[in-house]
Amino acid sequence: MSPPVLPAEQVLRIARDGDIVAARQAGRLMASEIGFSRPEQALIATAISELTRNIVSYAGTGRLSCRAVQQPRRIGLRIIAEDQGPGIPDLEAALRDGYSTGNSLGLGLPGTRRIMDDFDIRSAPGQGVTVTVTKWTSC
Amino acid sequence: MSDIIASSAPRADRLRPATDEQLRWFDITETDRSRAEALAATADELAEPIIEDFYRHLLSFEGARRHFRDDDQIARVKQGQLRYFRELVAAALDDEYVANRRRIGLIHERAGVTPTLYVGAYAYYLHSLGHMVMDRMQDDPARAVSLLLSLNKIAHFDMALALETYVDTREAAIEQREREMSELPTPVLQLRDGLLLIPVVGTLDSFRARNLTVRVLERIRDLRARAVVLDITGVAAVDSAVASHLIQTMTAARLMGATAVLTGLSAEVAQALVKIGVTSEALHTAGDLQHGIEIAERLMEG
Repeated sequence: MSPPVLPAEQVLRIARDGDIVAARQAGRLMASEIGFSRPEQALIATAISELTRNIVSYAGTGRLSCRAVQQPRRIGLRIIAEDQGPGIPDLEAALRDGYSTGNSLGLGLPGTRRIMDDFDIRSAPGQGVTVTVTKWTSC
Repeated sequence: MSDIIASSAPRADRLRPATDEQLRWFDITETDRSRAEALAATADELAEPIIEDFYRHLLSFEGARRHFRDDDQIARVKQGQLRYFRELVAAALDDEYVANRRRIGLIHERAGVTPTLYVGAYAYYLHSLGHMVMDRMQDDPARAVSLLLSLNKIAHFDMALALETYVDTREAAIEQREREMSELPTPVLQLRDGLLLIPVVGTLDSFRARNLTVRVLERIRDLRARAVVLDITGVAAVDSAVASHLIQTMTAARLMGATAVLTGLSAEVAQALVKIGVTSEALHTAGDLQHGIEIAERLMEG
């Protein structure tokens, strides 16, 4: 496989439902440029949906950045969702299936962790939330 | 900053710092204000010739000329501009000033004055004034420069206010359109006696999902439906929140005595939903609409 030209980083402001759709599309496009398969693109788009919906639902506004990351034998897409919202008081609970402080299925964070390869979350009450996830191309 | 963003005020306000903070950001101090005021007399005196000169410049552009109906209107706009520039050197830069500037920005935006026209006109004015002030203060050029630099700060603050209005107006228009889109009614079609079809198109946000549930239940009751086919081929994005809305709608339909069948889920989306953890127990699903209708009909008979 010849090394593809890696797409440039994108940073999007997330503040309303429309931004979720836009972020999803941007992420899916970048995933296809990096060389992810169609099912993988759908997984990435879904992860972006979950992360940005959390921003809109719980923090109001935030940002999403997507960029290609390269390692000797593989390429990945790294997505960082950050907000300055109220933060998550109990991270462990938030990562359990079915836990939700809103009226949702409570699958957003644990689901995102399942569909991405690397998952990191940082938060404290009043300090906002930063979620960093990466999906690597299978090779 | 975080407290500003987290507050529940409308977005336009929550991202905009208070006037004091804005002034600090532009580094506008009392010294700057008094220096700008020192220019007031000169600016007053020079305003008319500058504005006359500016309109000669402006009206030489076909595009700009179209903004004016007649000479009367030009005269009125010139008066407004005189006032605008007088306020720039003399006004207290308080909340009232900010509100007034934003109002003027809004008028410009509505009238179709582009940011290029607006900033260009500003630059023209500052440039003309700068030359004239330098001419007059030849004996003390250092002071002239410091006065003009202070005025420059205030002018940039002023321009920022107007440009923010442009952005806010556009954002409000986009939000309005999104709201209209999300309020698009979802049709509930009766395919045949007892069988309903609901093609869901677009983005399924909470507001719209609630409406959808209510509509479906009303129609089930009114038409005594026994089966409902929910087709989501046209839904832009399916994630756990959308899945949750759909599951709630389908569960509610069943409580009303109608079986619900979900169709139009693409292979990729289905896989993603399973990985996320959405379970389809208790959900009737079908790959395409045709198959979905067949399943619904079987369920009605059975």
